[in-house]
Amino acid sequence: MAEIIATKNLIKDYNLGKVKVRALNGVDLTIEAGEFVAIMGPSGSGKSTLMHIIGCLDSPTSGEYHLDGVLVSQMAKDDLASIRNSKIGFVFQSFNLLPHLNILKNVELPLMYAGESLRERSRKAREILASVGLSDRLRHKPSELSGGQRQRVAIARAIVNNPAILLADEPTGNLDSQAGGDILEIFTRLHSQGNTVIIVTHDKAVAQRAGRIIRIMDGRIEDGHLTG
Amino acid sequence: MAISLAESLHLGILDILTRKVRSAVTVIGIVLGVMCIMVVLAIVNGMNKTTMEWMSQRGGLSKVEVRPNWGYDFSKGGDPSLSLREIRLIRELVPQATAFNPQVSLPEAEMQVGDSGYVCPVFGVYPDMLKVEEWKIAKGRFINEFDISNHNNVVVLGSTVAKELFSSRDPLGRYVSWGGHRFMVIGVLGERYMKNQGGGETFGENGLEYLNRRAFLPLSTVISKINPKLRISSLELQAASPEKAKEMRKQVEEIILNLKQGKALFRVDSAQEQMDMMRKNSMIFTSIFILIAVISLLVGGIVIMNIMLASVKERTREIGVRIAVGARRRDIVIQFLVQTVLITALGGVVGILLGYAILDLVGGYLKLEVVASVRMIWTALLVSIGVGLLFGIMPAVRAGRLDPIEALREE
Repeated sequence: MAEIIATKNLIKDYNLGKVKVRALNGVDLTIEAGEFVAIMGPSGSGKSTLMHIIGCLDSPTSGEYHLDGVLVSQMAKDDLASIRNSKIGFVFQSFNLLPHLNILKNVELPLMYAGESLRERSRKAREILASVGLSDRLRHKPSELSGGQRQRVAIARAIVNNPAILLADEPTGNLDSQAGGDILEIFTRLHSQGNTVIIVTHDKAVAQRAGRIIRIMDGRIEDGHLTG
Repeated sequence: MAISLAESLHLGILDILTRKVRSAVTVIGIVLGVMCIMVVLAIVNGMNKTTMEWMSQRGGLSKVEVRPNWGYDFSKGGDPSLSLREIRLIRELVPQATAFNPQVSLPEAEMQVGDSGYVCPVFGVYPDMLKVEEWKIAKGRFINEFDISNHNNVVVLGSTVAKELFSSRDPLGRYVSWGGHRFMVIGVLGERYMKNQGGGETFGENGLEYLNRRAFLPLSTVISKINPKLRISSLELQAASPEKAKEMRKQVEEIILNLKQGKALFRVDSAQEQMDMMRKNSMIFTSIFILIAVISLLVGGIVIMNIMLASVKERTREIGVRIAVGARRRDIVIQFLVQTVLITALGGVVGILLGYAILDLVGGYLKLEVVASVRMIWTALLVSIGVGLLFGIMPAVRAGRLDPIEALREE
């Protein structure tokens, strides 16, 4: 299988005033295309920093990061924007939908920045929303939906541009167990359809769904083993 | 992978529609500033145009006028009048004058025909009065040299006087009595009416209508037969061109000073110089109002900047989401800048419309001519867009600089 993510000796330092904090301390990580991976670790472990770098929202202080065969660790910000747009789909704990746009427009957002035509945007967004069972809510505002429905909109937005990886940060953290279960079902389905799914979580039950759990502690990866 | 300008405009319009009240409040300063500029410029333009028209219809810019200098302290002796002898001397000294009209004005008294009468101002004039005032005769003829040399008892009536005294009858050859004397009507003057009604001398009435209520006698007749003590206090000359009029003004001023032993009993004005003076005054007036309008635009701009900064702060999370899904820094900057410019441009349009509404009211109510030009509209629009750019750039750049990680963490 092709490597979709390959990092070599990733280091990330933060300058907090005079104190230098090392959030990542040499992370070597490989994720194959089509894998379903959970990244686990307590708060302060460097889990969020790793997710931000994998998601191209941040750049490492040193080390290499290849995403889908492209070296992205030293890219300029505007090039990273383009990478985020075409290769990464984000799902956040707090959904992060734009409140004044209806859900169709929310899902169209990445397509707009991709420069797709209005008609093509609408077509793709409708199709994806249908696949998460929200065809009858296209004109609703996010505030008119339940938490589970909102997260399904967020997933639709994340996958609408057909990204290389789906990167979810505690996607069930704000949901009850029923809705959370539904969302995990969707991730499992997407994985079975060949998508690469990475879930960042501290919830063991969530992590159990993944094919592999990567534990991170004090800025290093502890071990990577299959859950079976 | 850029979003197009059309896309940005679309986004901007959506943003404004979602925040209607805020957008409206944001832009009030711009609306008022633009409105002020529109109203002031249109009124000043209108006044200038009216004055120009009034001047050009009363002899144009080549006219030189001699009038008593009311600023002079007459207690020092001297009397602002010229004798016929002095008038003839001046005429000889300025042969280049294309028209020459000394004038005396008689006290208002009733002019009578049979039972009907009409109180009107009466003037003793030279034949050149027609030329100086660029007036046309409607019926009969005007006073000529023959009337002057023979001291004929003839009168030429303004159109209103003729109408009041004779209504529909033909006044030519009929006699009117005035101040105990009888005069034969030899002509009726054409009606004076200023096109494009404007204020001129009086608000509410046509700027030239007062001329139609006058009647004219030969100057010689007035002095020899009506009142030998009457002296001439007003003289109008016409030069070949406005430039020549300036020279002639100086020359006439010197002649009269010499005649009056250096006492400045008379003022000599050229229409061109008066016009220049008026232009200068209206420029000062305009500049002051433009300055006020610019200050109001600046204040409006600062208000906009403040509100946009608050808006960027409030929309931090949205900006973070946009960046996460692939917006570049430039896309965010353009989104906020376009939004600001759209708001100010809309404010400009509203200001222009309000300005027009006010001009309509003012123009109709005060019978004041207002001239709003297309250029003014473009200027107003460009100025409001300029204000949007100037004060929108800082909040927009700040939005573009947001760190997406921080932005997404923002609650």
